[in-house]
Amino acid sequence: MTMDHPLVNRYLSDLNGALTQLAPTERAEVVTEIRQHIEDATAAGRPIDEILQALGSVDALARAYQLELLVTPRANAPAQPRSDRWLKILGLLALGSLPTFIIVIVLGTIGLSFTLTGIALVAAGIADSAGALPIWVRNDLEPWLAIVAGVALTILGLLSSWGTIAYLRFVVRLVRRVVPARSTVIA
Amino acid sequence: MGIHATSDWSSQLKRGVLELCILQLLREEPSYGYEIVTTLDTLGPLAAGENTVYPLLRRLKADGVLETFLRESPNGPARQYYRLTPDGRKRLTALTKEWQSMANAVTECLDNPRKGDSK
Repeated sequence: MTMDHPLVNRYLSDLNGALTQLAPTERAEVVTEIRQHIEDATAAGRPIDEILQALGSVDALARAYQLELLVTPRANAPAQPRSDRWLKILGLLALGSLPTFIIVIVLGTIGLSFTLTGIALVAAGIADSAGALPIWVRNDLEPWLAIVAGVALTILGLLSSWGTIAYLRFVVRLVRRVVPARSTVIA
Repeated sequence: MGIHATSDWSSQLKRGVLELCILQLLREEPSYGYEIVTTLDTLGPLAAGENTVYPLLRRLKADGVLETFLRESPNGPARQYYRLTPDGRKRLTALTKEWQSMANAVTECLDNPRKGDSK
């Protein structure tokens, strides 16, 4: 019947030829569907050339299919599977754990010990200048020098404590970005 | 620019909304290509050419929100029908919510764009 119309046959075979980038089964389903459309529209009383004109040129239709099916699925790819997530966590651990370990230990130790030593030096300097240094403390430094050195050490210590915290925050942010929480993956 | 810019704007707008409308059309019962195209045609500004709707249907199927099945038709060979998958229902709910909050915000913006300032 209508499907023997030469224009329709030509349109469908051209379409089949133009959908080169689709998988064969997908391509066959698309052609069947467009054939179905032409049949339905014909049954509704529309003339063949009007139906084909409304479908647009074979090239434009094929391009529309390839745009939707080849470009868009990648844009909203499905949520990353579980194994991927663990792989990323493992990778992050392998690459990041040693530097993190070293940085946190070194910076953290410097931070804590410098701060405490600095405060002790300042206290000792003040006590020394007041002549109230306990007998068991030996202070070779001038009191004012002890105070200045103590303040400098404290500042250095606080700076590296701050550095440790800033670094840890950075690591947390990095982990969150690489391995998004489950809820954001789904949304 | 004028008219051209306007039609470009509305076709961009339609692109996103069309997906929501197709999901909604299939909410109660399955349908097939020709019926979907002609239903959209009756909705004025939502009318979209066959060369937009058919590729979009395939993409929604590839995304897993629609699935196809064959159903006998009284006159002629079996037809390919589309229906929502469980993921499709979730997506329809999410998009409906999204659309409603967007529509409310746009209405508010058009009515009273400087609401924040006047307070």
